[in-house]
Amino acid sequence: MTIRTLTIASLKMFVRNKQSLFFTLFMPFIFIGIFGLIGFDKPQTIDLGIVTRSPSAPTKAFVDSLGNISAFHVTAGTESEERAALQKGDRAVVLIVPDDLFPDPAAIPPGREGGAGQAPAAKTAPKAKDVTILKNVAYEQQAQTAITILTQLFDKTTLQVAKAPTLFNLDVQSINANKVRYIDFLLPGIVAMSIMQMAVFSVAFVFTDYKEKGILKRLLATPMKPLDFVASQVITRLLVAVTQSAVLLGFGALVFKSHIYGNPLLILLTVLLGGIMFLGLGFTISGLSKTTDAVPAIANIIVFPMLFLSGIFFPISSMPNWLQGVVTYLPLQPFAKAMRAIIGDGAGFNVIKGDLAWVAGWAIVLVALAVITFRWEEKRM
Amino acid sequence: MPDIITVTNLKKVYNDFTAVDSINFVVHQGETFGILGPNGAGKTTTLEMMEGLKGITNGTVVLDGKDVSTQGREVKNVIGVQLQSSSFFDGLNLKELIETFAALYGKTVDAMELLREVQLDEKVKSRVKELSGGQKQRLSIAVALVNKPKVLFLDEPTTGLDPQARRNLWDLVNQIKGKGVTIILTTHYMEEAEVLCDRIAIMDNAKIIALDTPTGLLKLADVGTTIECHTDQPAPVAELQKLPGVQQATAENHGFTLKTRQPEVALPALFTFAQQQSIILHDVQVHQATLEDVFLKLTGRKLRE
Ligand SMILES: Nc1ncnc2c1ncn2[C@@H]1O[C@H](COP(=O)(O)OP(=O)(O)OP(=O)(O)O)[C@@H](O)[C@H]1O
Ligand SMILES: [Mg+2]
Repeated sequence: MTIRTLTIASLKMFVRNKQSLFFTLFMPFIFIGIFGLIGFDKPQTIDLGIVTRSPSAPTKAFVDSLGNISAFHVTAGTESEERAALQKGDRAVVLIVPDDLFPDPAAIPPGREGGAGQAPAAKTAPKAKDVTILKNVAYEQQAQTAITILTQLFDKTTLQVAKAPTLFNLDVQSINANKVRYIDFLLPGIVAMSIMQMAVFSVAFVFTDYKEKGILKRLLATPMKPLDFVASQVITRLLVAVTQSAVLLGFGALVFKSHIYGNPLLILLTVLLGGIMFLGLGFTISGLSKTTDAVPAIANIIVFPMLFLSGIFFPISSMPNWLQGVVTYLPLQPFAKAMRAIIGDGAGFNVIKGDLAWVAGWAIVLVALAVITFRWEEKRM
Repeated sequence: MPDIITVTNLKKVYNDFTAVDSINFVVHQGETFGILGPNGAGKTTTLEMMEGLKGITNGTVVLDGKDVSTQGREVKNVIGVQLQSSSFFDGLNLKELIETFAALYGKTVDAMELLREVQLDEKVKSRVKELSGGQKQRLSIAVALVNKPKVLFLDEPTTGLDPQARRNLWDLVNQIKGKGVTIILTTHYMEEAEVLCDRIAIMDNAKIIALDTPTGLLKLADVGTTIECHTDQPAPVAELQKLPGVQQATAENHGFTLKTRQPEVALPALFTFAQQQSIILHDVQVHQATLEDVFLKLTGRKLRE
């Protein structure tokens, strides 16, 4: 009875509090909106720089044909120019082509499927030529794609020169196609992130405020069981977490046609577990904060890195290895990963149980920390 | 009237600072009991130990037959509490706030009736932050009444209020007392203690230095009446001192003051003397002794510097 009344009261307060609503719904809506509209889905062209000096005619033809590949945006220049452009980040890859890549009298039209096949009969196997590729590590993924395409072109040319029969017909363009749409990647992570924001900030701000204003002390002057009050606050926020997940997923599905697979009960379980974990963090932060002014400072130090390093906006596989090793175990990462697996791939319990175990482990640790640090009353002096 | 609260050897030590030093007193059922003292005297600490909000270092508080240390929840059930700096949830209106607090006692209340009692019925849909200082204090009294308490604790209920709001609150306190509720209040204001309280404990430096009815305390001070006059000439203090009924004459900046225990003798003698000497008396004021004088006499300090 007490818990129910308190829960209803705090739900009312939650809904009336603009700050909580901002973190709970407004901000995630904006993220989904912005990133969903930008849509990183369209294949981006790869900036390819090409260095030649005085190429033989067939070499030049090969170089020109690269410009026909839609995935590339080709720029030609001297080696020093192109190296400088690479340094500046204007190129993903620079290809240094020897002038005699293809010997002059032979004309080999490259990049054409089973084309003319006018390659001259090679009496002896030609000596392998050195082609240098400079790749920009900042564009690791793009560079890799470019290298894959180029390697294939060279392989094909080699085969043609060697007159090997064509065993496979590959569509070069398919190399660059994205299988999963960005919004499908983004949405589950945003839901996880918004639960984190809601749980951490609403608890940390509200409880520190209650403590600072003496509201908690006033409550303790009643025969209320302190645990009832905490329970009502936790229940309130778990209800919010579930509602918020449903609203955000619904928004993504309706507006951006995002796919939502997976068992709703498993989604619910994951949301609740993640919610409890971050509520523990919220209570810990309010335990550590003497005043409401201290809350954003402490909370942001903890929450901000997680926000950007937990694979919400881009996969953690694009991060350096040492960093991956750290962020894999931060609370938000396994939570977001589990959500993405269930919602995006329809994964079942067995697939995500490792991630859920991490979330549960963090939940236990953070709730224990909350119990240790939490104070009902602000210490004076 | 029987005693409803018995405080025995009550002591509070913070680290090595003694905030309340082994105090003893009883509160009678139905009375308004005041604790008067300067800042830092230990009033709030005493109250919060009695309310079960602060740990007791030593001694006991028995309220309505229940020991606060061991039966905290039972005690909280029969008391109403207004804290020195009470504050409430901002996100609820007054009606919701009162109903929520009632739920904490497992009760339902008629919030409107309670708000009418403290003259806040027009504000039923308002939020706490929209209330004035006096209205906030009245609200916090209303909230303290949700469980129909036997004992109501008010910690400096009128501090920071203007005189009109203060008088308003005095009426409210007397009205609650009229219903048989025992009230314990703390204050810095002598006048307030005199007007509201049946008995007053004067607290200073963690100790109770006097406890009596207001009249009893005034007798204790043994200062009688003060007559204050402004004059044009310097006051002939030596002659004034000899007037019948006058105990002590003191020269002041623009006149003099006389202390007397028999104003009915001293005043006519003063007027006759002034006529004979052609002394023009401006602004003749007669003061009864106040608790301020009592405090000064007991401690050698003014209550509020
Ligand atoms: N939590 C605490 N830790 C240490 N000292 C404290 C604590 N609470 C109060 N004190 C000290 O105990 C003394 C008594 O404080 P208390 O609040 O009881 O005074 P008070 O009589 O209510 O004063 P005021 O009229 O200013 O409200 C003060 O010196 C105060 O600094
Ligand atoms: Mg006080």
